[in-house]
Amino acid sequence: MPARGPRRALLLLLPAALPTAAVLGAALTVAVLQSTGLMPVVGEPDPTTATYRALAGDRALLDGLRVSLGVAAASTALALAVGLGMALLARTTRLGGRLLRAAAAATVPVPHLVGAAAVGLLLADSGLAARALGAESFPPLVAGPLWVAVVAEYAWKESAFVALVVLAALAAGERELDETAATLGAGPWQRLRRVALPMAAPAAVAAGGVTFAYVLGSYDVAWLLGRSYPEPLPVLAYRLWTDVDLARREQALAVAVVTTALALACLLVTAALLARTARTARAVR
Amino acid sequence: MTRAAPAWRRAAVAPRVALALAWLAVPLVPLLLWAAADRWPFPAVLPTDWGLTGWRQAAGQGAGGALGRSVLLGLAVAALATPAGAMAGRALALHRVPARRLVEALLLAPVAVPPFAVVMGLTTLTLRAGVPGTVALVLVLSVSALPYTVFVMRSAYAGYDVGFEEEARTLGAGPRAVLLRVHLPLAAPALATAAFLAFLVGWSDYVVTLVVGGGQLVTLPMLVGALSSATGNDAVVAAVSLTAVVPPLLLLAATALLARRGAR
Repeated sequence: MPARGPRRALLLLLPAALPTAAVLGAALTVAVLQSTGLMPVVGEPDPTTATYRALAGDRALLDGLRVSLGVAAASTALALAVGLGMALLARTTRLGGRLLRAAAAATVPVPHLVGAAAVGLLLADSGLAARALGAESFPPLVAGPLWVAVVAEYAWKESAFVALVVLAALAAGERELDETAATLGAGPWQRLRRVALPMAAPAAVAAGGVTFAYVLGSYDVAWLLGRSYPEPLPVLAYRLWTDVDLARREQALAVAVVTTALALACLLVTAALLARTARTARAVR
Repeated sequence: MTRAAPAWRRAAVAPRVALALAWLAVPLVPLLLWAAADRWPFPAVLPTDWGLTGWRQAAGQGAGGALGRSVLLGLAVAALATPAGAMAGRALALHRVPARRLVEALLLAPVAVPPFAVVMGLTTLTLRAGVPGTVALVLVLSVSALPYTVFVMRSAYAGYDVGFEEEARTLGAGPRAVLLRVHLPLAAPALATAAFLAFLVGWSDYVVTLVVGGGQLVTLPMLVGALSSATGNDAVVAAVSLTAVVPPLLLLAATALLARRGAR
C-alpha cells in the first residue's frame, strides 16, 4: 500500500511549491525592498516612500492606471460576451460545435505578440480591413486614442479561452438538465436563463477574472499596438526599467508592485464572485 | 443531436456558427496573404505579385536560429514544469494535503503575479548573485507554467483509478515497474496536454526574455517584435509570425490525437 499520508503529499508537492514560493517570494520581496529604499543599488539602506510619492504625483502613473484598467475591462467584457456566445452556440449543433471547438483550440497556441502583429496587419490604416472596405479615410484603430486594436487582440484570443473553459464546464451534465427542462415545458429563452447561464457562470467568472488579471499585467500587445502616451502600467514599468538613470529602476519596481497588487485584488474579487456563482450553479443541479 | 430542434432554429444556427468561425479566423488572414506577397501596394485588396520573398528575408534575419532557440526554451520549460506539476497534481488529487487551501493558492499564485513584475524583481537579485540570465529565464517561465501543469494533472488524477497500481503491486510489480508500465501509460494523455501548455509558456514569452536578455537572446517572439515595430516589413513579419504559429498547431493536433487514443 502506498503511504497516502500528509508526509508523502508534502514530498510530492515540493518540486512545484518550492520554486513557486522561492521565485515569487524573492521577486516580490526585492521589488518591495528596492522601491522603498531598503535595498538601494548603491549606498546605505534608507527607508522611504519617496518613490511611491513621486509616482503618485506623476501623471504617467495615474494615466497608466486609467488606461490599463480601461483596456483590461473592455477586453474582458468583450471576451466574455463573445466567448460565452460561442460556447452556447457550440453546444446547439454537432458539426458547428466541433468546428468551433477546433477553431477556439487552435487560437490558444498563437503567441499574443504574433496575434498583435496579425491584428496590426488587419487594422492599421493601410491594413487589410482598410483595403477591403476601400474607405477614403480609415479611423486610427492602431495606436489610436481608443486602443481599439489592443482591445481587439485581447478580445480575440481571450474569447477563445473563455469559450473553451465554459464548454468544459457545460460538458458535465448540462445537456441532461436542459432536456429535462425542455420536457417540463421550458422554452429556449427560459432554459438559457435558468439552466445554461447559471451553469456556465462559475466558469465564465473564473475565466473573466484570469483574463482581466492577464491583460492588466501583459506588456507585448499594448507595446506594439498602443499609443506612446499614456502608457499602460507594464509598458511604463519597462520604459522606467531601461532608463539610463538607474534610480528609475526603483520607480519601475514600484510600478511592478502596484500592478501586482491590482492583479491580486482582481483575483480575490474573482474568488469571492466564484463562491457566489458556484452556489447558484449547485442550486440549479 | 439528441433533441429535435425545429427546422427554422437549425437554419438560423448556421450563419451564427459561420460568424463565430470568421471572428476566430479573420486575424490570421492578413498573415497568410502577406506571407505569400512579393508586392502589395496600398489600395490593392490582394497582393499584386505573389512570391516567397518574405520567407527568404526571414531566413536572412535569422529566423532559423530563433526557431531553434524558441524550441529549446519551450522544451526546457516543459521538461521542468511537467514532472513537477504532475507530482503536485497527484498529491492534490489523491493525498491528504495539510493546509490544502494555502497550498492551492500558492500553486495558482503565478497566474496573479504579472510576469514582468516577477522578472524585474528576480533579475535584480540574480544579477547581483551572478546567476546566468538563461537560468533566471527558464526558472521564471517554469514557475509561470506550473499552475497549468498542476491543475491539468490534478483533474486527470481526480479521475484516475489507483486500483490499477495497487493490483499491479499485489501481482508482484516493483515501484519502478508500476511507474513505467501502469502509472505513466495511464497518465500519458494528460501529461501530453500539460507538457504542451508548459511548452507554450516558453514558446510564446516575450517580456520575460526581453527583461532578462535585454534583446540578446533572440527567440521567435523577439524577432516578431523587432520586425513589426518597424514599418515596411509586412512580408517578413508575416513569414516569421507563421513560423511561430505552425509548430504549436502541429503539436496541438498531435496532443489531441494522443488524447483520443488514450480515451479508447
